[in-house]
Amino acid sequence: MKRFIVSGIETLGAAVVDAVHAVVELWLVYVSTIAGIVRGLSRRRGGRGRPKGEILRQLYYIGNKSFIFIIVTLGFIGMVMTYQACLQLSRVTGDYSQVGQQFLRLIVSDFGPTLTGMMLATRVGAGIAAEIGSMKVTEQIDALRMSGVLPIDYLIVPRFIASIIMTLVLATIGAVVMYAAGGLTANYSWGVNPNLFFDLDLARGRHFALFAVKSIAYGAAIPVVAGFCGLRARGSSEGVGWATTAAVIGSSFAVIVLDFLISAAALFVTGGDL
Amino acid sequence: MTAYIEFKDVHKAFSGKPVLRGMSLAIGKGEVMFIIGTSGVGKSVTIKHLIGLLRIDAGEIWFDGERVDQIPERNLAPLRQRVGMVFQSSTLFDSMTLAENVALPLRKHHNMRHHAALDEARRRLAQVYMEDYADRYPAELSDGMRKRAAIARTLAGGPARRNPAGDLQTWPDVVLFDEPTTGLDPISARRVDRLIRELATTLGVTAVVVSHDPPSIFSIADRVAFLYQGVVHVVATPAELRASTDLIVQQFINGQSSGPMETPGF
Repeated sequence: MKRFIVSGIETLGAAVVDAVHAVVELWLVYVSTIAGIVRGLSRRRGGRGRPKGEILRQLYYIGNKSFIFIIVTLGFIGMVMTYQACLQLSRVTGDYSQVGQQFLRLIVSDFGPTLTGMMLATRVGAGIAAEIGSMKVTEQIDALRMSGVLPIDYLIVPRFIASIIMTLVLATIGAVVMYAAGGLTANYSWGVNPNLFFDLDLARGRHFALFAVKSIAYGAAIPVVAGFCGLRARGSSEGVGWATTAAVIGSSFAVIVLDFLISAAALFVTGGDL
Repeated sequence: MTAYIEFKDVHKAFSGKPVLRGMSLAIGKGEVMFIIGTSGVGKSVTIKHLIGLLRIDAGEIWFDGERVDQIPERNLAPLRQRVGMVFQSSTLFDSMTLAENVALPLRKHHNMRHHAALDEARRRLAQVYMEDYADRYPAELSDGMRKRAAIARTLAGGPARRNPAGDLQTWPDVVLFDEPTTGLDPISARRVDRLIRELATTLGVTAVVVSHDPPSIFSIADRVAFLYQGVVHVVATPAELRASTDLIVQQFINGQSSGPMETPGF
Protein backbone atom coordinates (compact mmCIF):
# COMPACT_ATOMS: atom_id res chain seq x y z
CA MET A 1 0.00 0.00 0.00
CA LYS A 2 2.80 2.37 0.99
CA ARG A 3 4.65 1.55 -2.23
CA PHE A 4 1.48 2.23 -4.22
CA ILE A 5 1.07 5.68 -2.60
CA VAL A 6 4.76 6.56 -3.13
CA SER A 7 4.54 5.44 -6.75
CA GLY A 8 1.40 7.53 -7.27
CA ILE A 9 3.03 10.62 -5.77
CA GLU A 10 6.13 10.10 -7.94
CA THR A 11 4.01 9.78 -11.07
CA LEU A 12 2.01 12.87 -10.18
CA GLY A 13 5.19 14.80 -9.37
CA ALA A 14 6.77 13.80 -12.68
CA ALA A 15 3.64 14.90 -14.56
CA VAL A 16 3.68 18.28 -12.78
CA VAL A 17 7.38 18.77 -13.52
CA ASP A 18 6.78 17.86 -17.20
CA ALA A 19 3.85 20.28 -17.38
CA VAL A 20 5.91 23.11 -15.86
CA HIS A 21 8.75 22.37 -18.31
CA ALA A 22 6.25 22.43 -21.20
CA VAL A 23 4.81 25.79 -20.13
CA VAL A 24 8.31 27.28 -19.77
CA GLU A 25 9.34 25.93 -23.19
CA LEU A 26 6.13 27.26 -24.76
CA TRP A 27 6.83 30.66 -23.28
CA LEU A 28 10.40 30.52 -24.64
CA VAL A 29 9.09 29.68 -28.13
CA TYR A 30 6.73 32.66 -27.91
CA VAL A 31 9.51 35.02 -26.75
CA SER A 32 11.88 33.66 -29.41
CA THR A 33 9.21 34.25 -32.06
CA ILE A 34 8.80 37.89 -31.02
CA ALA A 35 12.60 38.22 -30.94
CA GLY A 36 12.70 36.65 -34.41
CA ILE A 37 10.31 39.29 -35.75
CA VAL A 38 12.49 42.04 -34.26
CA ARG A 39 15.60 40.40 -35.77
CA GLY A 40 13.79 40.23 -39.11
CA LEU A 41 13.06 43.95 -39.03
CA SER A 42 16.65 44.89 -38.39
CA ARG A 43 18.32 42.19 -40.45
CA ARG A 44 20.72 42.89 -43.25
CA ARG A 45 20.53 40.82 -46.41
CA GLY A 46 21.51 37.17 -46.07
CA GLY A 47 20.95 37.03 -42.32
CA ARG A 48 19.68 34.09 -40.33
CA GLY A 49 15.99 34.56 -41.01
CA ARG A 50 13.06 33.26 -42.96
CA PRO A 51 13.08 32.16 -46.60
CA LYS A 52 12.08 34.66 -49.26
CA GLY A 53 8.34 34.76 -50.00
CA GLU A 54 7.51 32.46 -47.10
CA ILE A 55 5.01 34.87 -45.49
CA LEU A 56 3.07 35.09 -48.78
CA ARG A 57 3.09 31.30 -49.08
CA GLN A 58 1.77 30.99 -45.52
CA LEU A 59 -0.89 33.68 -46.14
CA TYR A 60 -2.10 31.58 -49.06
CA TYR A 61 -1.95 28.34 -47.10
CA ILE A 62 -3.78 29.68 -44.04
CA GLY A 63 -6.11 32.09 -45.81
CA ASN A 64 -7.12 30.68 -49.15
CA LYS A 65 -7.27 27.09 -48.01
CA SER A 66 -9.34 27.90 -44.90
CA PHE A 67 -11.74 30.32 -46.59
CA ILE A 68 -14.50 27.90 -47.62
CA PHE A 69 -14.17 25.97 -44.36
CA ILE A 70 -14.70 29.15 -42.29
CA ILE A 71 -17.61 30.66 -44.24
CA VAL A 72 -19.53 27.38 -44.43
CA THR A 73 -19.04 26.64 -40.73
CA LEU A 74 -19.81 30.13 -39.48
CA GLY A 75 -22.70 30.51 -41.92
CA PHE A 76 -24.42 27.39 -40.61
CA ILE A 77 -23.74 28.30 -36.98
CA GLY A 78 -25.24 31.74 -37.65
CA MET A 79 -28.38 30.16 -39.07
CA VAL A 80 -28.77 27.71 -36.17
CA MET A 81 -28.17 30.36 -33.52
CA THR A 82 -30.67 32.81 -35.01
CA TYR A 83 -33.27 30.10 -35.52
CA GLN A 84 -32.90 28.95 -31.90
CA ALA A 85 -33.00 32.53 -30.57
CA CYS A 86 -36.20 33.25 -32.52
CA LEU A 87 -37.71 29.94 -31.45
CA GLN A 88 -37.11 30.68 -27.77
CA LEU A 89 -38.40 34.24 -28.15
CA SER A 90 -41.55 32.96 -29.87
CA ARG A 91 -42.25 30.89 -26.76
CA VAL A 92 -41.71 33.80 -24.37
CA THR A 93 -42.54 37.24 -25.78
CA GLY A 94 -42.80 36.87 -29.55
CA ASP A 95 -40.87 40.15 -29.91
CA TYR A 96 -38.02 39.78 -32.44
CA SER A 97 -37.01 43.44 -32.58
CA GLN A 98 -33.79 42.96 -30.60
CA VAL A 99 -32.63 39.70 -32.22
CA GLY A 100 -30.47 41.26 -34.94
CA GLN A 101 -28.86 43.90 -32.74
CA GLN A 102 -27.99 41.49 -29.93
CA PHE A 103 -26.81 38.89 -32.43
CA LEU A 104 -24.45 41.43 -33.98
CA ARG A 105 -22.97 42.35 -30.60
CA LEU A 106 -22.50 38.67 -29.83
CA ILE A 107 -20.81 37.98 -33.16
CA VAL A 108 -18.50 40.99 -33.03
CA SER A 109 -17.45 40.73 -29.40
CA ASP A 110 -17.21 36.94 -29.20
CA PHE A 111 -18.48 34.37 -31.68
CA GLY A 112 -16.90 35.79 -34.85
CA PRO A 113 -13.27 35.68 -33.74
CA THR A 114 -13.64 32.76 -31.32
CA LEU A 115 -15.35 30.37 -33.73
CA THR A 116 -12.89 31.36 -36.46
CA GLY A 117 -10.06 30.78 -33.99
CA MET A 118 -11.41 27.35 -33.09
CA MET A 119 -11.72 26.37 -36.75
CA LEU A 120 -8.20 27.58 -37.53
CA ALA A 121 -6.84 25.82 -34.44
CA THR A 122 -7.95 22.48 -35.87
CA ARG A 123 -7.04 23.03 -39.49
CA VAL A 124 -3.99 25.30 -39.36
CA GLY A 125 -2.69 24.03 -36.01
CA ALA A 126 -2.67 20.44 -37.24
CA GLY A 127 -0.94 21.41 -40.49
CA ILE A 128 1.81 23.39 -38.77
CA ALA A 129 2.48 20.67 -36.18
CA ALA A 130 2.57 17.92 -38.82
CA GLU A 131 4.95 19.84 -41.07
CA ILE A 132 7.35 20.93 -38.32
CA GLY A 133 7.05 17.56 -36.52
CA SER A 134 7.99 15.70 -39.71
CA MET A 135 11.00 17.97 -40.14
CA LYS A 136 11.98 17.33 -36.52
CA VAL A 137 11.90 13.53 -36.67
CA THR A 138 13.74 13.45 -40.01
CA GLU A 139 16.52 15.67 -38.56
CA GLN A 140 15.75 18.55 -40.96
CA ILE A 141 15.52 20.92 -37.99
CA ASP A 142 19.03 19.85 -36.97
CA ALA A 143 20.15 20.39 -40.56
CA LEU A 144 18.74 23.92 -40.41
CA ARG A 145 20.66 24.60 -37.22
CA MET A 146 23.82 23.27 -38.86
CA SER A 147 23.24 25.58 -41.84
CA GLY A 148 23.27 28.60 -39.51
CA VAL A 149 19.50 29.03 -39.60
CA LEU A 150 17.45 29.63 -36.47
CA PRO A 151 14.52 27.16 -36.76
CA ILE A 152 12.07 29.50 -35.02
CA ASP A 153 12.92 32.39 -37.38
CA TYR A 154 12.69 30.10 -40.38
CA LEU A 155 9.61 28.06 -39.49
CA ILE A 156 7.48 29.80 -36.88
CA VAL A 157 7.93 33.53 -37.53
CA PRO A 158 6.41 33.46 -41.08
CA ARG A 159 3.48 31.36 -39.84
CA PHE A 160 3.03 33.67 -36.86
CA ILE A 161 2.81 36.82 -39.01
CA ALA A 162 0.60 35.17 -41.65
CA SER A 163 -1.67 33.64 -39.01
CA ILE A 164 -2.32 37.00 -37.29
CA ILE A 165 -3.18 38.68 -40.60
CA MET A 166 -5.36 35.88 -41.89
CA THR A 167 -7.19 35.27 -38.60
CA LEU A 168 -8.21 38.93 -38.61
CA VAL A 169 -9.30 38.74 -42.27
CA LEU A 170 -11.10 35.39 -41.95
CA ALA A 171 -12.80 36.37 -38.70
CA THR A 172 -14.12 39.51 -40.42
CA ILE A 173 -15.40 37.55 -43.42
CA GLY A 174 -16.77 34.80 -41.15
CA ALA A 175 -18.58 37.35 -38.95
CA VAL A 176 -20.16 39.02 -41.99
CA VAL A 177 -21.31 35.65 -43.35
CA MET A 178 -22.60 34.59 -39.93
CA TYR A 179 -24.55 37.83 -39.55
CA ALA A 180 -25.98 37.62 -43.08
CA ALA A 181 -26.92 33.95 -42.68
CA GLY A 182 -28.63 34.76 -39.39
CA GLY A 183 -30.55 37.64 -41.01
CA LEU A 184 -31.76 35.46 -43.88
CA THR A 185 -32.86 32.73 -41.45
CA ALA A 186 -34.71 35.21 -39.26
CA ASN A 187 -36.44 36.68 -42.29
CA TYR A 188 -37.40 33.43 -44.08
CA SER A 189 -38.25 31.34 -41.00
CA TRP A 190 -39.69 33.93 -38.63
CA GLY A 191 -40.61 36.86 -40.85
CA VAL A 192 -38.21 39.31 -39.15
CA ASN A 193 -37.84 42.49 -41.20
CA PRO A 194 -34.27 42.72 -42.61
CA ASN A 195 -34.12 46.46 -41.86
CA LEU A 196 -34.84 45.66 -38.23
CA PHE A 197 -32.37 42.74 -38.09
CA PHE A 198 -29.50 44.53 -39.80
CA ASP A 199 -29.70 47.58 -37.53
CA LEU A 200 -26.15 48.56 -36.48
CA ASP A 201 -27.20 51.12 -33.86
CA LEU A 202 -26.12 49.06 -30.83
CA ALA A 203 -22.67 48.21 -32.20
CA ARG A 204 -19.97 50.29 -30.53
CA GLY A 205 -16.28 50.87 -31.22
CA ARG A 206 -15.33 48.85 -28.14
CA HIS A 207 -17.03 45.78 -29.65
CA PHE A 208 -14.90 46.07 -32.79
CA ALA A 209 -11.79 46.68 -30.66
CA LEU A 210 -12.55 43.48 -28.76
CA PHE A 211 -13.04 41.71 -32.10
CA ALA A 212 -9.58 42.86 -33.26
CA VAL A 213 -7.84 42.04 -29.98
CA LYS A 214 -9.28 38.52 -29.88
CA SER A 215 -8.49 37.83 -33.55
CA ILE A 216 -4.88 38.96 -33.12
CA ALA A 217 -4.48 36.97 -29.88
CA TYR A 218 -5.84 33.75 -31.45
CA GLY A 219 -3.82 34.29 -34.62
CA ALA A 220 -0.67 34.65 -32.52
CA ALA A 221 -1.41 31.70 -30.21
CA ILE A 222 -2.20 29.02 -32.82
CA PRO A 223 1.15 28.92 -34.69
CA VAL A 224 3.17 29.23 -31.47
CA VAL A 225 1.34 26.34 -29.76
CA ALA A 226 1.32 24.20 -32.91
CA GLY A 227 4.95 24.99 -33.72
CA PHE A 228 5.94 24.18 -30.16
CA CYS A 229 4.17 20.80 -30.41
CA GLY A 230 5.90 20.10 -33.73
CA LEU A 231 9.31 20.96 -32.29
CA ARG A 232 8.69 18.50 -29.41
CA ALA A 233 7.92 15.60 -31.78
CA ARG A 234 10.08 12.56 -31.02
CA GLY A 235 10.76 9.23 -32.70
CA SER A 236 9.07 8.57 -36.03
CA SER A 237 5.63 8.97 -37.64
CA GLU A 238 3.94 8.05 -34.36
CA GLY A 239 5.63 11.04 -32.74
CA VAL A 240 4.34 13.30 -35.52
CA GLY A 241 0.83 11.94 -34.91
CA TRP A 242 1.07 12.73 -31.20
CA ALA A 243 2.41 16.21 -31.96
CA THR A 244 -0.48 16.88 -34.35
CA THR A 245 -3.08 15.74 -31.82
CA ALA A 246 -1.42 17.79 -29.09
CA ALA A 247 -1.37 20.83 -31.38
CA VAL A 248 -5.10 20.64 -32.10
CA ILE A 249 -5.96 20.20 -28.42
CA GLY A 250 -3.46 22.84 -27.27
CA SER A 251 -4.45 25.44 -29.88
CA SER A 252 -8.19 24.98 -29.23
CA PHE A 253 -7.57 25.18 -25.49
CA ALA A 254 -5.50 28.34 -25.97
CA VAL A 255 -8.35 29.96 -27.94
CA ILE A 256 -10.88 29.15 -25.20
CA VAL A 257 -8.61 30.37 -22.38
CA LEU A 258 -7.71 33.55 -24.27
CA ASP A 259 -11.41 34.16 -24.98
CA PHE A 260 -12.13 33.99 -21.27
CA LEU A 261 -9.17 36.15 -20.24
CA ILE A 262 -9.74 38.84 -22.89
CA SER A 263 -13.49 38.96 -22.22
CA ALA A 264 -12.86 39.24 -18.48
CA ALA A 265 -10.30 42.00 -19.05
CA ALA A 266 -12.73 43.83 -21.35
CA LEU A 267 -15.51 43.63 -18.76
CA PHE A 268 -13.10 44.97 -16.16
CA VAL A 269 -11.92 47.83 -18.40
CA THR A 270 -15.44 48.85 -19.47
CA GLY A 271 -16.90 48.43 -16.01
CA GLY A 272 -19.23 45.68 -17.24
CA ASP A 273 -20.73 47.82 -20.00
CA LEU A 274 -19.91 45.66 -23.02
CA MET B 1 49.26 12.02 -31.38
CA THR B 2 47.78 15.31 -30.21
CA ALA B 3 44.01 15.06 -29.91
CA TYR B 4 42.12 17.40 -32.24
CA ILE B 5 38.77 16.15 -30.94
CA GLU B 6 38.49 14.57 -27.52
CA PHE B 7 35.59 13.03 -25.63
CA LYS B 8 36.44 12.64 -21.95
CA ASP B 9 34.35 10.38 -19.70
CA VAL B 10 31.10 11.33 -21.47
CA HIS B 11 27.80 10.20 -19.96
CA LYS B 12 24.38 10.48 -21.57
CA ALA B 13 21.02 8.97 -20.65
CA PHE B 14 17.61 9.24 -22.30
CA SER B 15 14.57 9.05 -19.97
CA GLY B 16 16.79 7.55 -17.29
CA LYS B 17 18.21 4.89 -19.61
CA PRO B 18 22.00 5.27 -19.90
CA VAL B 19 23.44 5.20 -23.41
CA LEU B 20 26.97 6.52 -22.91
CA ARG B 21 28.59 5.47 -19.64
CA GLY B 22 31.96 7.18 -19.47
CA MET B 23 32.87 7.13 -23.16
CA SER B 24 36.35 8.52 -23.95
CA LEU B 25 37.91 8.90 -27.40
CA ALA B 26 40.66 11.02 -28.95
CA ILE B 27 40.72 11.80 -32.68
CA GLY B 28 43.71 13.30 -34.50
CA LYS B 29 43.68 16.12 -37.06
CA GLY B 30 43.13 14.94 -40.64
CA GLU B 31 42.22 11.46 -39.48
CA VAL B 32 39.37 9.34 -40.89
CA MET B 33 37.98 7.82 -37.70
CA PHE B 34 35.16 5.30 -37.87
CA ILE B 35 32.87 4.76 -34.89
CA ILE B 36 31.22 1.37 -35.12
CA GLY B 37 28.94 -0.69 -32.91
CA THR B 38 25.51 -2.24 -32.78
CA SER B 39 22.31 -0.24 -33.31
CA GLY B 40 21.33 1.92 -30.33
CA VAL B 41 24.78 1.81 -28.74
CA GLY B 42 25.16 5.60 -28.96
CA LYS B 43 27.28 6.21 -32.07
CA SER B 44 25.10 8.96 -33.56
CA VAL B 45 24.48 10.37 -30.09
CA THR B 46 28.25 10.66 -29.62
CA ILE B 47 28.87 12.77 -32.72
CA LYS B 48 25.82 14.98 -32.16
CA HIS B 49 27.29 16.00 -28.80
CA LEU B 50 30.29 17.55 -30.52
CA ILE B 51 28.16 20.17 -32.29
CA GLY B 52 25.61 20.81 -29.57
CA LEU B 53 22.67 19.03 -31.22
CA LEU B 54 22.54 16.99 -28.01
CA ARG B 55 23.88 17.89 -24.58
CA ILE B 56 25.96 15.55 -22.44
CA ASP B 57 24.93 14.74 -18.88
CA ALA B 58 28.52 14.59 -17.61
CA GLY B 59 32.07 14.63 -18.95
CA GLU B 60 33.90 16.96 -21.31
CA ILE B 61 34.24 17.43 -25.06
CA TRP B 62 37.19 19.31 -26.52
CA PHE B 63 37.78 20.51 -30.08
CA ASP B 64 41.02 22.15 -31.23
CA GLY B 65 42.02 23.06 -27.68
CA GLU B 66 38.62 24.50 -26.70
CA ARG B 67 35.97 22.94 -24.49
CA VAL B 68 32.79 22.86 -26.58
CA ASP B 69 30.20 20.96 -24.55
CA GLN B 70 29.26 24.05 -22.53
CA ILE B 71 28.89 26.53 -25.40
CA PRO B 72 25.32 27.93 -25.35
CA GLU B 73 23.12 27.39 -28.42
CA ARG B 74 23.28 31.05 -29.47
CA ASN B 75 27.09 30.91 -29.69
CA LEU B 76 27.38 27.62 -31.57
CA ALA B 77 27.34 29.01 -35.14
CA PRO B 78 31.16 29.37 -35.43
CA LEU B 79 31.66 25.80 -34.17
CA ARG B 80 29.03 24.49 -36.59
CA GLN B 81 30.91 26.20 -39.44
CA ARG B 82 34.11 24.41 -38.51
CA VAL B 83 32.40 21.08 -37.79
CA GLY B 84 29.82 20.07 -40.38
CA MET B 85 27.54 17.08 -40.36
CA VAL B 86 26.07 14.83 -43.03
CA PHE B 87 22.92 13.30 -41.58
CA GLN B 88 21.80 9.71 -42.03
CA SER B 89 18.74 10.61 -44.13
CA SER B 90 20.51 13.39 -46.09
CA THR B 91 17.94 15.94 -44.73
CA LEU B 92 17.80 17.97 -47.93
CA PHE B 93 14.85 20.37 -47.91
CA ASP B 94 12.19 19.01 -50.27
CA SER B 95 10.88 22.43 -51.35
CA MET B 96 14.31 23.54 -52.63
CA THR B 97 16.40 22.43 -55.61
CA LEU B 98 19.82 20.91 -54.91
CA ALA B 99 21.49 24.24 -55.74
CA GLU B 100 19.16 26.09 -53.34
CA ASN B 101 19.84 23.50 -50.63
CA VAL B 102 23.58 23.97 -51.00
CA ALA B 103 23.20 27.76 -51.26
CA LEU B 104 21.39 27.98 -47.91
CA PRO B 105 24.49 27.71 -45.65
CA LEU B 106 26.42 29.98 -48.04
CA ARG B 107 23.76 32.67 -47.56
CA LYS B 108 23.44 32.15 -43.83
CA HIS B 109 27.04 31.49 -42.78
CA HIS B 110 28.75 33.68 -45.41
CA ASN B 111 26.08 36.37 -46.00
CA MET B 112 26.29 35.77 -49.76
CA ARG B 113 23.63 37.24 -52.04
CA HIS B 114 21.09 34.83 -53.50
CA HIS B 115 22.49 34.55 -57.04
CA ALA B 116 26.12 34.51 -55.94
CA ALA B 117 25.28 31.74 -53.47
CA LEU B 118 23.56 29.72 -56.23
CA ASP B 119 26.63 30.07 -58.49
CA GLU B 120 28.89 28.95 -55.68
CA ALA B 121 26.50 26.09 -54.86
CA ARG B 122 26.85 24.77 -58.43
CA ARG B 123 30.65 24.68 -57.96
CA ARG B 124 30.23 22.79 -54.67
CA LEU B 125 27.92 20.31 -56.41
CA ALA B 126 30.57 19.81 -59.10
CA GLN B 127 32.97 18.83 -56.34
CA VAL B 128 30.76 15.83 -55.57
CA TYR B 129 30.04 15.10 -59.28
CA MET B 130 26.44 16.41 -59.05
CA GLU B 131 26.60 19.59 -61.14
CA ASP B 132 24.21 18.17 -63.76
CA TYR B 133 21.49 17.81 -61.14
CA ALA B 134 21.71 21.29 -59.58
CA ASP B 135 18.19 22.28 -60.66
CA ARG B 136 16.51 19.03 -59.68
CA TYR B 137 14.53 18.52 -56.47
CA PRO B 138 15.65 15.93 -53.88
CA ALA B 139 12.57 13.76 -54.52
CA GLU B 140 13.71 13.27 -58.14
CA LEU B 141 17.07 11.75 -57.17
CA SER B 142 18.39 8.46 -55.84
CA ASP B 143 19.54 8.03 -52.24
CA GLY B 144 23.19 8.07 -53.32
CA MET B 145 22.76 11.32 -55.23
CA ARG B 146 20.98 12.93 -52.29
CA LYS B 147 23.79 11.82 -50.00
CA ARG B 148 26.40 13.41 -52.26
CA ALA B 149 24.37 16.63 -52.44
CA ALA B 150 24.16 16.61 -48.64
CA ILE B 151 27.96 16.35 -48.52
CA ALA B 152 28.16 19.37 -50.86
CA ARG B 153 25.84 21.33 -48.56
CA THR B 154 28.01 20.45 -45.56
CA LEU B 155 31.14 21.58 -47.40
CA ALA B 156 29.41 24.85 -48.33
CA GLY B 157 28.83 25.65 -44.67
CA GLY B 158 32.55 25.65 -43.77
CA PRO B 159 34.89 28.62 -43.50
CA ALA B 160 36.24 30.08 -46.78
CA ARG B 161 39.92 29.40 -47.60
CA ARG B 162 42.20 28.53 -50.52
CA ASN B 163 42.33 24.92 -51.67
CA PRO B 164 45.61 23.27 -52.82
CA ALA B 165 44.95 24.55 -56.37
CA GLY B 166 44.80 28.13 -55.05
CA ASP B 167 41.04 28.61 -55.55
CA LEU B 168 38.90 30.19 -52.85
CA GLN B 169 36.62 27.49 -51.48
CA THR B 170 34.63 26.64 -48.37
CA TRP B 171 34.97 23.50 -46.33
CA PRO B 172 34.76 22.61 -42.64
CA ASP B 173 37.71 21.39 -40.60
CA VAL B 174 35.74 18.34 -39.50
CA VAL B 175 32.86 16.51 -41.16
CA LEU B 176 30.73 14.11 -39.14
CA PHE B 177 29.09 11.42 -41.26
CA ASP B 178 26.12 9.58 -39.75
CA GLU B 179 25.88 6.22 -41.53
CA PRO B 180 26.73 7.70 -44.94
CA THR B 181 26.41 4.43 -46.87
CA THR B 182 23.34 2.96 -45.16
CA GLY B 183 20.60 2.21 -47.68
CA LEU B 184 22.85 2.77 -50.70
CA ASP B 185 23.65 0.23 -53.41
CA PRO B 186 27.28 -1.00 -53.32
CA ILE B 187 28.42 1.27 -56.17
CA SER B 188 26.89 4.42 -54.67
CA ALA B 189 28.28 3.42 -51.29
CA ARG B 190 31.82 3.13 -52.67
CA ARG B 191 31.44 6.52 -54.40
CA VAL B 192 30.54 8.08 -51.07
CA ASP B 193 33.53 6.30 -49.48
CA ARG B 194 35.78 7.72 -52.18
CA LEU B 195 34.45 11.23 -51.51
CA ILE B 196 35.15 10.93 -47.80
CA ARG B 197 38.69 9.75 -48.47
CA GLU B 198 39.24 12.55 -51.04
CA LEU B 199 38.13 15.18 -48.53
CA ALA B 200 40.69 13.92 -46.02
CA THR B 201 43.48 13.54 -48.57
CA THR B 202 43.05 16.68 -50.67
CA LEU B 203 41.63 19.18 -48.17
CA GLY B 204 42.88 17.75 -44.88
CA VAL B 205 39.36 17.36 -43.52
CA THR B 206 39.03 15.30 -40.34
CA ALA B 207 36.24 12.78 -40.93
CA VAL B 208 34.35 11.06 -38.13
CA VAL B 209 32.19 8.36 -39.65
CA VAL B 210 29.46 6.40 -37.87
CA SER B 211 29.00 3.19 -39.82
CA HIS B 212 28.00 -0.46 -39.84
CA ASP B 213 29.41 -1.04 -43.30
CA PRO B 214 32.49 -3.36 -43.23
CA PRO B 215 33.64 -2.52 -46.80
CA SER B 216 33.74 1.19 -45.87
CA ILE B 217 35.49 0.50 -42.59
CA PHE B 218 38.19 -1.64 -44.12
CA SER B 219 38.76 0.50 -47.22
CA ILE B 220 38.96 4.11 -45.98
CA ALA B 221 39.31 4.21 -42.18
CA ASP B 222 42.57 5.30 -40.59
CA ARG B 223 41.36 4.06 -37.22
CA VAL B 224 38.22 2.47 -35.85
CA ALA B 225 36.60 2.96 -32.44
CA PHE B 226 34.32 0.10 -31.44
CA LEU B 227 31.56 1.27 -29.07
CA TYR B 228 30.07 -1.34 -26.78
CA GLN B 229 27.91 -0.95 -23.66
CA GLY B 230 28.34 2.82 -23.56
CA VAL B 231 32.14 2.92 -23.69
CA VAL B 232 34.83 2.59 -26.35
CA HIS B 233 35.72 -1.09 -26.21
CA VAL B 234 38.59 -1.00 -28.71
CA VAL B 235 40.40 1.61 -30.81
CA ALA B 236 42.47 0.09 -33.60
CA THR B 237 43.52 0.38 -37.22
CA PRO B 238 41.42 -1.69 -39.64
CA ALA B 239 44.24 -4.25 -39.91
CA GLU B 240 44.53 -4.51 -36.12
CA LEU B 241 40.78 -4.85 -35.86
CA ARG B 242 40.69 -7.65 -38.41
CA ALA B 243 43.47 -9.46 -36.54
CA SER B 244 41.92 -8.86 -33.11
CA THR B 245 41.41 -11.89 -30.92
CA ASP B 246 38.72 -10.09 -28.90
CA LEU B 247 35.63 -12.31 -29.24
CA ILE B 248 33.20 -9.38 -29.11
CA VAL B 249 35.06 -7.56 -31.90
CA GLN B 250 35.23 -10.75 -33.94
CA GLN B 251 31.53 -11.40 -33.50
CA PHE B 252 30.71 -7.87 -34.70
CA ILE B 253 32.99 -7.67 -37.73
CA ASN B 254 32.06 -11.19 -38.84
CA GLY B 255 28.35 -10.46 -38.31
CA GLN B 256 27.74 -13.57 -36.18
CA SER B 257 24.29 -13.78 -34.60
CA SER B 258 25.53 -15.76 -31.60
CA GLY B 259 28.50 -14.97 -29.42
CA PRO B 260 29.52 -13.14 -26.27
CA MET B 261 28.04 -9.79 -27.35
CA GLU B 262 24.92 -8.75 -25.48
CA THR B 263 22.50 -7.15 -27.92
CA PRO B 264 19.41 -5.47 -26.41
CA GLY B 265 16.14 -6.83 -27.77
CA PHE B 266 17.54 -10.18 -28.97
